[in-house]
This record gives sequence, structure tokens and C-alpha cells, in this order.
Amino acid sequence: MKLTTLLRTGALALGTTLAAHAAETVKVGVLHSLSGTMAISETSLRDVLLFTFDEINAKGGVLGKKIEPVVVDGASNWPLFAEKAKQLLEQDQVAVTFGCWTSVSRKSVLPVYEKNNGLLFYPVQYEGEEESQNVAYTAEAVNQQATPAVDYLLAQGYKKFYLLGSDYVYPQTTNLVLLEYLLSKGVAIENIGGGFRKDGSGNIISAGKYTPFGHTDYQQIVAEIKQFAAGGGAAVISTLNGDTNVPFFKEYAASGLSAEVCPVVSFSISEDEFRGLPADKLVGQLGCWTYFQSINSPANKKFVADFKAWLAKSSVPGVVKENRVTCSPMVLSYVGVYLWKAAVEKAGSFDVDKVRAAWKSGVSFDGPAGKVATQKNMHLTKNVFIGETKADGQFKILKSFNNVYGEPWLKGKFKAKGAVATNE
Amino acid sequence: MIGRVPAFRAVVLVKPLPSVLGFLFSAWLACSAIAAGAARLTIAKAILTEDDTPKRALVAGLAGEGDEDVPALLAAWRSDQLFIHAAADGAKVPVQLIGPKDAAEAQEALRVDTGEPLRDASGKPLRLVAADLTAVEHDAALRRAMKSVLDVAEIAARDPAKRRQAIQAIGFAQNADKLPALEARLAIEREPKVRLALREALAVIRLKDSSDDAKLAALRELRELEALSSYDLIQAALKNAGAAGQKEIAAACRATLAAIDRHRSSVDFFGTLFRSASLGSILLIVALGLAITFGLMGVINMAHGEMIAVGAYTTYLTQSVFGGGVTIPCFGLSLAIPGMHLGGWVYQAYFLAAIPASFLAAALVGIGLERGIIRFLYRRPLESLLATWGVSLLLQQTFRLTFGANNVQVSSPAYLSGNWTVNDIILGWNRVFVIGFALLIVFGVWLVLTRTPLGLLIRAVMQNRTMAACMGVRTERVNMLTFGLGSGLAGLAGAFLSQIGNVGPSLGQSYIVDAFMTVVVGGVGNLMGTVISAFGIGGLDQVLQQYLPTWAPGLAGFPLIGSFLQNLAQDSSVFGKILVLALIVLFLQWRPAGLFVTRSRSLD
Repeated sequence: MKLTTLLRTGALALGTTLAAHAAETVKVGVLHSLSGTMAISETSLRDVLLFTFDEINAKGGVLGKKIEPVVVDGASNWPLFAEKAKQLLEQDQVAVTFGCWTSVSRKSVLPVYEKNNGLLFYPVQYEGEEESQNVAYTAEAVNQQATPAVDYLLAQGYKKFYLLGSDYVYPQTTNLVLLEYLLSKGVAIENIGGGFRKDGSGNIISAGKYTPFGHTDYQQIVAEIKQFAAGGGAAVISTLNGDTNVPFFKEYAASGLSAEVCPVVSFSISEDEFRGLPADKLVGQLGCWTYFQSINSPANKKFVADFKAWLAKSSVPGVVKENRVTCSPMVLSYVGVYLWKAAVEKAGSFDVDKVRAAWKSGVSFDGPAGKVATQKNMHLTKNVFIGETKADGQFKILKSFNNVYGEPWLKGKFKAKGAVATNE
Repeated sequence: MIGRVPAFRAVVLVKPLPSVLGFLFSAWLACSAIAAGAARLTIAKAILTEDDTPKRALVAGLAGEGDEDVPALLAAWRSDQLFIHAAADGAKVPVQLIGPKDAAEAQEALRVDTGEPLRDASGKPLRLVAADLTAVEHDAALRRAMKSVLDVAEIAARDPAKRRQAIQAIGFAQNADKLPALEARLAIEREPKVRLALREALAVIRLKDSSDDAKLAALRELRELEALSSYDLIQAALKNAGAAGQKEIAAACRATLAAIDRHRSSVDFFGTLFRSASLGSILLIVALGLAITFGLMGVINMAHGEMIAVGAYTTYLTQSVFGGGVTIPCFGLSLAIPGMHLGGWVYQAYFLAAIPASFLAAALVGIGLERGIIRFLYRRPLESLLATWGVSLLLQQTFRLTFGANNVQVSSPAYLSGNWTVNDIILGWNRVFVIGFALLIVFGVWLVLTRTPLGLLIRAVMQNRTMAACMGVRTERVNMLTFGLGSGLAGLAGAFLSQIGNVGPSLGQSYIVDAFMTVVVGGVGNLMGTVISAFGIGGLDQVLQQYLPTWAPGLAGFPLIGSFLQNLAQDSSVFGKILVLALIVLFLQWRPAGLFVTRSRSLD
């Protein structure tokens, strides 16, 4: 026990190999930012991964081998992610890696995994338009988060949509897909707010309003939303990230807008992010994920209780023990490990090619949010939930969509109904 | 609901009486249940209906019931105070829990369908515990249905703001059934704002009228009202009129839309003015402290941002002390700060206490910094820059270790959340407060510097340290107090920023560049320059944000980079900021010393 604790605490993270252990253990990489701006979010994923490894090891490991985690710190530094990935693959020769949060970190390690034929499990909602044979996307694709949320809003009778996001690849791509989707659902282009940017020949290349990271002044944008929503029936679709949500929602509430007048559905606020947001300003606003901590099922209750029990007695340095919650990226990390285990056991080998073949032939796992199943395109079929936020930072589930197929290629998939006037 | 209270009293009396009386009583009880009205039954039925659509229809059907139970019950439903009680025979009974909780957390339970207390088989009133029951569910669509029911009831609400909201909601729905209720209200309504809302709602509903005259009259009314919120509905009417070939109505629609557009541009203009003043005053309070430490003393204090954060965290601590207390880890120890558990307006007053507290806390940290580090580094700007940058990192990490890497929550007191809406221009109370306070602080600093002995000493030392020392001024002490004053002002900025942004370890980093920019543009060593540059930069930023997108089409004409510029201009919050920085760089090329040049030996 003491030895494994020692291993986990980082002796192995430095690349030390213990030959004696090589026979009974299988090395698994954990590549997350444990320092820098992304550490707040990514450390939770490290925690849940270590918890999962312990849970599996306690039941005998994978193919009779104990999982031996190799934890490295990407430090919110994208080129460093690639270096660390290289180290994991070439030096530690891990069988699989669980890691990355931001799209840019994934894009940065992608060539490393493709060159070395490694396998990366990626757990955070992303923009799609990618399908590498070396990445298992346990993450929500756009059609497992954004489009179900829009379906829900349309069914609730909302007619006008204001697109708002942080200025980087995920919001930009998601909003373009959403624009096509909304048009295909018969929403008129003048009822989509936030502005459009067009290329020389008049095609829309970007839709919605974007603000830089760390933006603090949302007065003008909220005033614009207020006018946009003046006639009723309007909703805001927000892909704002992290801290910027605080000044946005404070301004939103101060201008007299509320969830009843004009709800905001946010794709980047999960229970974990909620710990840093003013809860009273967000009550009634919507979220859409493939997991909520409030899911009322025995499997989920057990998962939450087990994770909290593990936290309480964990000796991993830097683990925060108070006020912990579970959220979708954490659960997708958790089911990712179990799906990898299932694929390895089906293949009877840790070899990446064989594991991939097993993944593609279809494996499944009954996770905290219900059944998840692998697909040929390296994504997952899973349940999607719409929830509204409560004052205690949890979500109340309003609607669920069962077994949604993960589709990464959505641009150009939705055709607008009738002719669309793009010259507004 | 006249029958309810006596019935309840009767229970107590009836108990020991013979069963005949008991029978009579229960018969009477049944009668009173009917008297309680169909509304309660409908609500109970709606609660037990599984399917969403009929459920919503049942709730929507309650509109105009006039039963005074309806608003109370729906409000209880929305606030999760209605529960399902599984009776002994397996039937589901919706109940409302009311009254104080006893030692076992149990409350009195009233049946939703009758309004009578829930009884067990022996007729004894049951007391239930909320945590043991399932609360009755409600989703957004259902709440909207409830809202439309409540809206009709709320036309007569006591609070004018509520009346207005209710009336607007009815107007948007464009349901001609609601016309009589609105007209009846218009006849007796006194509040001018609510009258406007009523007129607008009536006109909007009449847009759907079948007669052309009514439509034209409605459009004239809307044109006169310059009703922003009915823009979409008028556009829809214009489309319909165009399709039906009604030229007169289409023309009236267009004229109304044009009038509303004109009104909108004036709202935008004055809104931009207000937002400029608000952003300017934030820049001002952020930069004012720096104008003293950097401007007057010449210390490049990179830890100025962290002084702001000290103020913000002090506000958080003050709030915790007024509230439930807080436990913070402090150098390996767990430091428990007890709370006073105040409520109501006394708790709300925490912010007033936080203002001087944050000033003092930041001033003390500033004095410590000056005594500990900066006093050894006067006249060595490069070293002081590096040293204070180090201090800044140190403080950030201290915040992280003490308060956690996540942001902490500072709530807005009631008097700072909300807004005035004047002629469609939104004036947030927190923003108005910040503008007022910024001006007050500037006035205060001006008073201190020009009308007090300390101010005289400060100015003397800053102008010529050696000469002041020769005259017997204790320059060391003046330096210390001046730096403390500058840091304290930064702390004040932190207290205000906690009301509009997030309070986290990196709070200072988001404002430090803006603060330096404002001071440099204003002219180092000149307070008036800082004031003007803060409002100038704030104004420029807001004007660009507001009007860049409207100028975007004009940029398309540029050769080669036309569409690129146009797209940039669309992203006004990003591009606006870039433009402001570019303009400042150009400005400083033209006037390197800023707006106002101060000649002083200490700055040479």
C-alpha cells in the first residue's frame, strides 16, 4: 500500500521505472494541467482518474495487471503538453493516456499520438470537426450538448437566440454549427443575435458575439441583449468560459434580465465551475451536459459517495477535500477508464491497434449517467440531460435525451429550410 | 376561503363529541371543500397529471379564476413548497407544508385540493417533514404557464413594477381575450409608467385586430409611445400586411418602425454616455491610487493590482463577519473567524462597513510594503519594478493559499442590485453608486492634497525631497503615509470591483495594465490628468464598442483588407480594445508626457 502511494505521489511521474513491477502493472498516463490557469478545472480530472484507478485495482486491475498511473503536469502550457505527451509515449511507454481539457492542448498533442500510435482519451466537450484514430473522444460532441439544448429551447417556445462566447476555437465552431442548425429549424436569421462575420464572397464565417478571456466589462453586450430580448421569446446561448461568467451574470442581473425573461443556456458551466460563480445570480439558468450530479440513480449515488470517501482518505498531495462536486468531464474521464478496460479485456491485449479494434467493434459500460457505448468513429453514444441551476450550485434535471449518437462532423450537415437571406 | 379557519377550529372542538356530530361535521367539511372553489381542485389535478401538455393546459386554464388561493398556491409550487404525500391507501395527495417547523422538522400539512389539514385514518391532523417528501416538479414551460396566470392576477398587484411586468407579458401574448381586463385597469391606473405599459399592451394586442382602423390606431399609438419592445411584433404585422397587400397598414408599420428606430438610436447614445461614465469611473478609482504612488512618488508599483485584491478580499471577509463567519487556512493553521449572523438590513449594511475596512487593510499592507522593501529602492526604478513584481506574485499566491484558487462570492446588497430605467436607458444602481463614489473620492483626495497639512507635506516632499528634508520635514514618514494613501485608494477600488466582477487571486492582474495606461495618458504626477484620461479612455472604449459594428459596412470599401476590417469591426469588444491601445500609443508618440505635463525635479 505504501509503495503504491509513493508511486502515485510522483516518484514514477519523474520517469523512474521499477523493473520488478513491470510484470504485474500496466502504465497509464495522466496528462492534465496541475498548475496555471486551467489547474482549477483539470486537477479535478486528475483526482477522479486516480480514484478510478484505485477502484479498478481494488477489484484486480485490468487483465490481471494493476494500473500504475504516470501523472505529468501540462501546466496550462500548450507546447509543454506536446513534450509531456512525448515523454509519456516514448520514455514511459504508457498503454493509454487520459488527458487534456482545452481544444488547443488536444490539437497540440495530436501529432505526437499519431506519430507514436498512442491512444488518448479526451473527456471535455469540444467543437468536433476532428476524428483521429489515436483519440478516443469520450467528450460531448456538439450534437450531444449544443443542439439538444437548442431543441429544448425551441420546444419551450423560444424564437430568438443570442449567441455569445469566449473568443477561441470551441465557441466559434459551435456557434457556426448552431447557426446552421437554427436556420434548418426555421429560425429566421434576423432572430439570431450577436452579429455575423463574412468572407469576401458573403458566406458567414463566424456568428455570435465574442469577448476575450478575462473580459470584465459586459455593459454594452448586456444592453444589446436587453434590446434583443425586449419583445420576449428570446434566449442566450453562452459559450463564455471561466471567470468571465461572473461579470457577465452580475451585469445581466443588474440590468433586470432574469431566467424568466430571457434564459441563458451555458455550455461551459458545470457543477465544478459553479464553485466559483455567484449562485444567486444564476438561479434558473440552463445547462446541458451528459451528466449531472443530481441524477437520481443508485449508480450515480454510489459513484458520488465512493468518490467523496476516496477524497476523504486520499493522501495525494494537493487534493482539495472540502466542497467537492462531480461534473460531466469528471464522469466522462471515469467512464473512459472503464471503457478502455472493457476494450482491453475484449481485445485480450494492451496493444493500441487491438484495443482500437475492440473499441470500434463496440463496448459499453453502465456509468453514473446510464449506459455509454463506443462507436466506430471513436466517439460515444450517451444520454444527454438539460438542467436548470439551483441556488446550491446543483442542477435540476428538466429533460433527458437517451442514447444520443456522437457526431463530430456537423458543419454543413444541417440545411436551411427554404432560401436563407444572408444579406441582412 | 372564509370557511377554512372556522373549520379548523371546529376540529378541536369536535374531537370529544359523539360520532353523530362527527358525521355532520365531515359532511359540512365536504361542502366547504366545494366552496373552496374549483381552482384548488384544478391545481391538485394538474399536480397529479403526469403528461406535460395537459398539465400545462390545466394550469393555463386557471387564468381569470379570480380565486385568491391561486397566486399563493402557484407561488408555493414554484418555490418547492408543495409536496406529494403518499396516503396509507396508496393514493397520492398533494399537500402544502406551512407554519413553523417543530423539533422534528415537521410542519402542518394542508391538502391542496381542499385547503383543509391533512388527516390520518383517525382524523388526526398529520404533521409532515419536507425532507421526507418529494417536492412537486415544475419545469420552465410550466413556470411560464403559471406566470401568465399570475400576470392576470398581478395586473392589480400592489407593486407598480410587478404590474408593469405582468401587463407587458400579457401584451406580448397578443391575446384579445385579455383586452377587457387591461382596459378596466387603464381606467383606474394612476402610475404613469404602468399607464404607458397598459397603452402599449392594448395597442400590441390590437395589432391583431381584424379591423384596419383598429390596426392603424394601434400603430399610431405605438408610434407615439416609441415602444422598443413591440418592434418584433410590428415587423410581423408589416410582413402580414405586405402579404395581404394592405398598403396603408404597411406604410403605417414602416413609419412606426422608423420612429422606434430613431428612439433606439437616442437610447443607444445616452446609454453609451452612461456606460462611458461608468467604465471611466472604474478606471478612475483603479488608477487613482496609482496616480499617487506612481504619479507623485515615482514608484513603479507592480503590486498595485494586488492592493486592489486586498480591498476586495477585505470586503469578502467583512461580509463573512456580518454573516455566518468563515474559516481560512493560514500558514498551516486553520483560522476560524466567527460571524455575527446578522440578517436583514443590518447584514445588508456590511458593504458600508467594508468600504473603510478595505481602505485600512490595503493601506496597512501598502505601508508594510513601503517600510519593508520600497524605501530601500527610491531612485532605483528598475529594481523597484522587479521587487514589486515579486511582491505581486507573492501576494497572489498568498491569496490562493488562504482563500483558495476559486473565486470567492461577494453578494451585492439590495441597495446595489437593481436599476433605474429612465426612458428605456438602464442605469444600474451599482454603476450609479460607483460613478458617485469615484467623484467623491477624487474630491476627497483633492481636499487631502490641497487643504490639509499632510497634503502640503506630501506635495513638498514629492517636489523636492532634499529641500523638504532640509526644512525639517520627516520625509521618511511622509513617504510612508503617501504610499499608504495610494494603496488604501486601491483597496477602495477593490471594494467596488467586488460588486461588478469576480474576486479571485488574479483580480489585480486584470486591472493593472488599465491603471498604468490611465495614469500615463493623463500625465504622470497630475491628478486632474488621471481623471480626464480615465473618462476619456472609458468613453472611447464604449463608443467604439457601440458604434463599430454600425460602421462596419463602411469599412468594406477599403481596398484589399476591406472584408477583414469589416469582420474585425464586428468583434467590437475585442477590436475596440485594440483600437483604444493603438490610439493611446499614437497619442503618447505625440505627447510623451501625457495630457498634462508636470515639471518636477523628482520626476526627471
